[in-house]
Amino acid sequence: MSHAKMFDLARPSRQHLLGYILLAPAVLLVGFIIVYPLAIAVDLSFQDVRIPRMGRRGEFTLDNYERLFASSEFWMACWVTIKLVAVVTIGSLIVGMSTALLVNNRFRGRTLARLGMALPWAVPEVIAVVIFAWIFDSSFGLMSWLFVVTGITDTMIPWVSSPSAAFWAVAVTMVWKGFPFVSIMVLAGLQSIPADYYNAAKVDGASAAQRFRWITLPLLMPVLGVTLVLVILWVFRDFSIIKVLTEGGPLRTTQTLSIMTYDQAFGFHNFGYASAVGVLTLVISVVASMFMLGRGTKAIY
Amino acid sequence: MTRTFNQSLMLYLGVIATLALILFPIYWLFITAISTSAELSALPPSFWPADAQWEIFARVWEARPIPTWLMNSMIAALGSVALSMVVSVFAGYALSRYQLRGGHALGLFILTAKMLPATLLVIPLFAVFRNLGLIGSMWTLVIAHSTLIVPFATWMLKGYFDTIPRELEQAAMVDGCSPMGAMVRVVLPIATPGLAATALYAFVLSWADYAYARTFLVNAQDNWTANLGITTMKGEYVTDWNEISAAAVFVAVPVIIIYLFLERYLVGGLTAGAEK
Repeated sequence: MSHAKMFDLARPSRQHLLGYILLAPAVLLVGFIIVYPLAIAVDLSFQDVRIPRMGRRGEFTLDNYERLFASSEFWMACWVTIKLVAVVTIGSLIVGMSTALLVNNRFRGRTLARLGMALPWAVPEVIAVVIFAWIFDSSFGLMSWLFVVTGITDTMIPWVSSPSAAFWAVAVTMVWKGFPFVSIMVLAGLQSIPADYYNAAKVDGASAAQRFRWITLPLLMPVLGVTLVLVILWVFRDFSIIKVLTEGGPLRTTQTLSIMTYDQAFGFHNFGYASAVGVLTLVISVVASMFMLGRGTKAIY
Repeated sequence: MTRTFNQSLMLYLGVIATLALILFPIYWLFITAISTSAELSALPPSFWPADAQWEIFARVWEARPIPTWLMNSMIAALGSVALSMVVSVFAGYALSRYQLRGGHALGLFILTAKMLPATLLVIPLFAVFRNLGLIGSMWTLVIAHSTLIVPFATWMLKGYFDTIPRELEQAAMVDGCSPMGAMVRVVLPIATPGLAATALYAFVLSWADYAYARTFLVNAQDNWTANLGITTMKGEYVTDWNEISAAAVFVAVPVIIIYLFLERYLVGGLTAGAEK
């Protein structure tokens, strides 16, 4: 094909043309499946629509957003989201960091241990829920049994149907599913720290704690920052775990913004209102991650 | 590093205890599947069934349309991975090699697309698909899963291409290769591990989807994916934990196998996008 040179793509001035040609399919696809739908969603959020029909649009209105800011459900969903983000992020960070530090040691069978530590990452979220729904079962679940046996509670706890406990069932499931990502990232970060630093510090008589505080932690910060943001965004976006485990209940105590968006659209057929919730969720998560990364943002891009 | 015997012992004990705790839920899923229902409703729970009922796997495989569900998940994954990989390979290559006007902005946009909540995108996609009469068809998943895959795959592949020296193509072009030929015949073969890693990661992403399948295919029972099918086995009040656990084992095993054998590639992909 390269012999029939209608126009010669090898000539330097044509090089860019080839670049654009290669980029075109992706731009078209992303335009059709992401940008265009996103525009529709934003548009829907400014209409009073229950079920959208293409080509027939309602009047422009701010009703959805006004209703949203006035509804206690929305603020409750915000609060649940923030709580869940905080708990799951901190939990994943602690478990992920400690497992990474543990398997970063040199010992026989380390490869296998690393493989095992991150295995939950490969388990699909729905399957993780099946596992934990049974562990948190109200009558014969392992967790309730453990609580009774260890004397924390007198009776079995109906985890998933209790407004105060359901949140924790969701959080535990998410941490189990989310910490391996932190572990993997931190481990990669740890291995990029030159051993010389530690040796030099040891010669100077630094203790293990001092080495962690003054070498490991600062050098891990960039990786940790990015990881943190990605975990937070994951909790923001998550649908499967909450939907299958608790459906956002009981009494909306596990209804995050993401779940509220979905239920308003496909449960109550308020597509306009749902789009408004979704658009705000997106705005919040973009702003939050930009804010958290700050100048670091450029480093990832 | 030298360690005393006691330190080594502590390390091993720590590793083993942590592993046991982390892997316990997976073990528990398996045990739940093969326990008798009498054992499941007994307290204290038995940590190894006295009378393991291995036939549960064969029974569920026949009683529930598990082969169909797995096949559907496979079709959705292969379709969306194929579609996404073709466009992402070209785009990733272009972003890596050419200083294109708007290329940086596009890269940024693609990266932010990773932040999109599926629950938001699913609304307009539903409207579009309904308009096209696609609701209930597997095409909805091929397209919807591509929204998950293309942004990260493009970025990940750009990263891989960045690690391949340009001199290789330049040498090939000096030898009379066209730029396109240099890419296809010189760069892509070298990038094969990267391509494989990206495709695998994409496969895992598609395999894990529940939101899109639930929205577009809930009324098309023949097209249910594994994740969607499994959730229909979870009753609001009563769930047959034997059956659902055995079914879950079938769904989890393919990705766990991929992970165990190709972890190196998957992890490489996971960290490539975020590091540096």
